[in-house]
Amino acid sequence: MIAEHLILGKQGEEIAASRLKELGWTILDRNVSFRGGELDIVALDGDELVVAEVRTRSEGWMQRGEESVGPRKLGRLVLAGRQYVDRRGWQGPWRIDILAVTVGSDGSAALERFEDVTAGAYFS
Amino acid sequence: MNPLWGITLRGIEAVPVEVEVEITGGLFAISIVGLPDASVRESKERVRAALRSLGLPVRGRVSVNLAPADLPKEGAILDLPIALAVARAMGSLPDLPDGLYMGELALDGRLRGVRGAVGAALLARERGCPLYVPKENAPEVSLVRGCTAFGADTLEELLASLRGERELSRIEEHAPEEGAFRPCTPDFSDIRGQAGAKRALEIAAAGHHNILLTGSPGSGKTLLARALRSILPPLSPEEFLEAALVRSTLGIPLERDMQPPFRAVHHTASIAAICGGGSTLRPGEVSLAHRGVLFLDEFPEFRRDILESLRQPLEDGHITVSRAAGSAIYPSRVLLAVACNPCPCGWIGDPVERCICSPSDLERYRRKISGPILDRIDLHVPVPRLLPEELVAVEGDGGEGSEVIAARVKAAREIQRTRWGESGCTCNAELPERMVKKSLLLDLKVRPFLASMAGRLRLSGRGISRVLKVARTIADLAASERVEVSHVAEALAYRDGGAAG
Repeated sequence: MIAEHLILGKQGEEIAASRLKELGWTILDRNVSFRGGELDIVALDGDELVVAEVRTRSEGWMQRGEESVGPRKLGRLVLAGRQYVDRRGWQGPWRIDILAVTVGSDGSAALERFEDVTAGAYFS
Repeated sequence: MNPLWGITLRGIEAVPVEVEVEITGGLFAISIVGLPDASVRESKERVRAALRSLGLPVRGRVSVNLAPADLPKEGAILDLPIALAVARAMGSLPDLPDGLYMGELALDGRLRGVRGAVGAALLARERGCPLYVPKENAPEVSLVRGCTAFGADTLEELLASLRGERELSRIEEHAPEEGAFRPCTPDFSDIRGQAGAKRALEIAAAGHHNILLTGSPGSGKTLLARALRSILPPLSPEEFLEAALVRSTLGIPLERDMQPPFRAVHHTASIAAICGGGSTLRPGEVSLAHRGVLFLDEFPEFRRDILESLRQPLEDGHITVSRAAGSAIYPSRVLLAVACNPCPCGWIGDPVERCICSPSDLERYRRKISGPILDRIDLHVPVPRLLPEELVAVEGDGGEGSEVIAARVKAAREIQRTRWGESGCTCNAELPERMVKKSLLLDLKVRPFLASMAGRLRLSGRGISRVLKVARTIADLAASERVEVSHVAEALAYRDGGAAG
């Protein structure tokens, strides 16, 4: 028996991935695990590699999806992202996006994308 | 690729800075090296936002190098060259021709005016390359003759012109008009009586001599000193540019007429505020008053060390400010006008009021006034107060207006310019020591007269040469070719007045 919130999360990632394809992005990888973190979606936006963190919430939830990514989570995303580009041998620029999916009670889903969330903050 | 040049300020001088940019893959980050100060480091936020607003997102790891590496860089003035170098490294710009770029960026890509545009224009003229500035700085740049400069309102405009898609407007040279008399208050005709002090101010203005006004409270010292600006001769174009350079370095808006500066300094000012300095080596009031008047009211209230620090700039016409961050030379050719009370209570020597100072008060007061500074002030002028009945009696008549006096002063200054033209100084007070003896055209009777008086008044060597310079100015005001005994006698009287009182 899987917990309800995990089902919702999985559902959100599916929605996000299909929306990204509609945007014309190429999905490279899903759910890549590293020590210390997991990357939900890795995709190509043109010539830039994007590490996307998907956050799914039911409508009416007190905290919005994008608000649940704090500095510690961002730090982990940067570290995991670096391991990914190293392993893949990616030479070009890359960035981190947050995809906030809100699922309504009628099953409809809204996606909001927050581009390049680490810009201006520097993780060494 | 051609090097891309920006500018930073060292003192009042603009120094070229080469901006290099390398972009590699990775998570977005900009790092700036080459001794940037806080405002240069913050430019990465402005540069990225400005470029993004033009549809040029900066991605990857950006390294910006500012060369020479050991020169500290200051100010947002480097925003524009950094943005251009980044745009070029991203491939959005072709290789650029030789040029100097300066300007601060707004987040939406507008260009903001910066300090130091006059110095930048001088640098561009020296290097013989075009200068690109924000339009806001155009008035300052237009003062410099022979400089090719272009003004832009936005980064977009500039990028388009560098890609050859449009033409930028060339900044036309626009030297300010030769000075006409501009009335300013107070006018000499507003001041009743004080004929002696007015005469002394006329001499001070004509020869750029330092002046000390001593008088009891309410006698009109401050009013007289402020009236000095209404009779000063207008600046020459070169002098105007020198004054504009200092103002532009501090970001003070330009005056568009040739009126010499007049800076009144309060006695609470610090040494750095007066002489220049601070962590970024800014010029001080003595440099802002360059070619004009530095006015110190309530002279004895100034801290002793501040007065002492003025000695060198008064003598040399420039001031060298040395700090750990480096040293800078600022111009400081000023007419020093100071005013003070004759004693702490102010009434010594007054015909009616009684002075209540004890001898030790007087002694302490006299000690506060630096002797070496007094020796550098050529005209010591008592300003006796008019008694109430006298004030009422002379109702309405203030004597000559400033315009009449200013015309005489200007004529006297013309004579000096013509005479000293080749030596590079423009007025009698600036005359170097070695030229004083031989080129003042003294009347034969002057030497024996001066010799007898110098002994009696115990004049120093500097004192004698200063008396002679003042006498030369008095002769110029009288349009006399030679310096006569009467001219020297009047000059000595101004010297004596201070020594005795």
